[in-house]
Amino acid sequence: MLRIDGVHKWLGNNHVLRGVDIEVRTGEIVCILGPSGSGKSTLLRCINHLDPVDGGIIEVNGERVGYELHDGQLFEQSERRVAKARQHIGMVFQHFNLFGHITALDNVTYGPTRVLGRPRKEAVAHARQLLAKVGLADKDASYPSQLSGGQQQRVAIARALAMEPRLMMFDEPTSALDPELVGEVLQTMRQVAEEGMTMIVVTHEIGFAREVADRVVFMDQGRVLEDGPAREVLDNPRHERTASFLRRVH
Amino acid sequence: MSELNPSSSPALTGPAHYVRLPGDEPPVQEAPVRAKRRPKYGQIVTGFVAIALLALAIQSQAQNPNMEWGVTWEYMFNQVVLQGVGVTIQLAIFAMLISIVLAFVIALMIQSNNKVASVIGRAYVWFFRGVPMLVQVLLWFNLAVLFPRILGQDTNTLISGFTAGLIALSLAESGYMAEIIRGGIISVPAGQTDAGVSIGLTRNQALARIVLPQSIRVIIPPTGNQFIGMLKATSLVSVIGGSDLLTRVQLIYGQNFKILPLLIVAVLWYLILVTIAGIGQHFLERRFNASQPGSRKPRRRTPGDPATKTTTIRTTTGGAL
Repeated sequence: MLRIDGVHKWLGNNHVLRGVDIEVRTGEIVCILGPSGSGKSTLLRCINHLDPVDGGIIEVNGERVGYELHDGQLFEQSERRVAKARQHIGMVFQHFNLFGHITALDNVTYGPTRVLGRPRKEAVAHARQLLAKVGLADKDASYPSQLSGGQQQRVAIARALAMEPRLMMFDEPTSALDPELVGEVLQTMRQVAEEGMTMIVVTHEIGFAREVADRVVFMDQGRVLEDGPAREVLDNPRHERTASFLRRVH
Repeated sequence: MSELNPSSSPALTGPAHYVRLPGDEPPVQEAPVRAKRRPKYGQIVTGFVAIALLALAIQSQAQNPNMEWGVTWEYMFNQVVLQGVGVTIQLAIFAMLISIVLAFVIALMIQSNNKVASVIGRAYVWFFRGVPMLVQVLLWFNLAVLFPRILGQDTNTLISGFTAGLIALSLAESGYMAEIIRGGIISVPAGQTDAGVSIGLTRNQALARIVLPQSIRVIIPPTGNQFIGMLKATSLVSVIGGSDLLTRVQLIYGQNFKILPLLIVAVLWYLILVTIAGIGQHFLERRFNASQPGSRKPRRRTPGDPATKTTTIRTTTGGAL
């Protein structure tokens, strides 16, 4: 469903992604672990073309996001077509990024009404369902500034789910949260996983990776060092760098 | 009345490892501590001095025959003067509106990925912010010299003092407003654009629908400032006979030679207009700050408030626990 093949990226003089290869099948849950600066977040941003890649291929369901092939020559897609492709890829950010000027309910209905053009009644009903699912049915009229971090993140998850994406990406979703609030967000993510969503999660929560992920990918300095079944990689890492990282983080 | 005795607190005098057990509450302070305030001698003395000086100043001028307060009062609501006030208000409002529209376009041009648009935008700001407003006013008015006829009409009649003033003020102001709007746009965190884009908006849509609305809150205070500045800047059109408040006041005292009283009329009217504008800005800011934390007034907590978690514990001895 998602194919990342030989992806390279430079940020200034920094070679952030050095030939990354990852495959994700439909319904799989993949956790990407690694130290800061390993390129994990950058990789996620490249998947939905928030940032362009400098080399390699990224395909979602067989289609490249951000680029198209004409007669063997690669062209940059127009902003409009990239935007359309992004409708099917949901993203949850480390700092939530809820739209601060509208209520929680409006945040969740925004995509369906303004981007997908669904009728408001339908979108509101769906939004209420999603907010109830993440446990925030009573907060629909609250503004993001009135919600705790954990609550904001759950609304953000509902917002992403409202677009009915085929792939959900989570960029360190709990890193900015109070330890007490981490649990409620992980619980929500677990629910999403159990409903069969294809998920890529960049996280430091090893426990979550162990219990929920199908596969774990370990990255360091822009390269994939290890990629295998979650329990195997976490319990019996084969690469020494993976092992030393896990020892220190666990 | 029980006094708080901090040295009886178990945490300070008790064992090395303190654990609060249920029911183990420190005595609630039932009434605020009433300490007598030291009189603020510095403030009292300064206050008296200030009031005394002000009274002296008012008295000296109130009785001063040269001030001719009667004349001031006479002309305060004179019809010519009032018309001038009307023109000043119109000029300020229209110039502000036009400049904001222009400024939005320029700000977006500077921020866009289009390098040509960006350069043009910056050049615009450089020019219209750089040339003094007074010079711009004179330039526009004297355009008639360069273009004696525009669109088949005599330029002098087409561009009156008012019109030239309006154009000049709008353009000059747009230079400042463009930077204010641009500042507002970049103050919105980049994550908002990321989020907008991630649900399928194009970058331009995210800018218009997500970023701009949130930038308004930051744009309002400096814009209010600029509007107050504009109310005063309108007085510049007096050099081209723009029929505003100052023009008319000058016309009047040009005839009756009561210069100071009439200038005071102008001063008072400008102060009135600026005060009203300031109040308007206050309400506008409150309206746009509603979605911010801390903008709703918190309830005042009183000792008997059930929302506060401390409980009142009365012991039989009536002392602290």
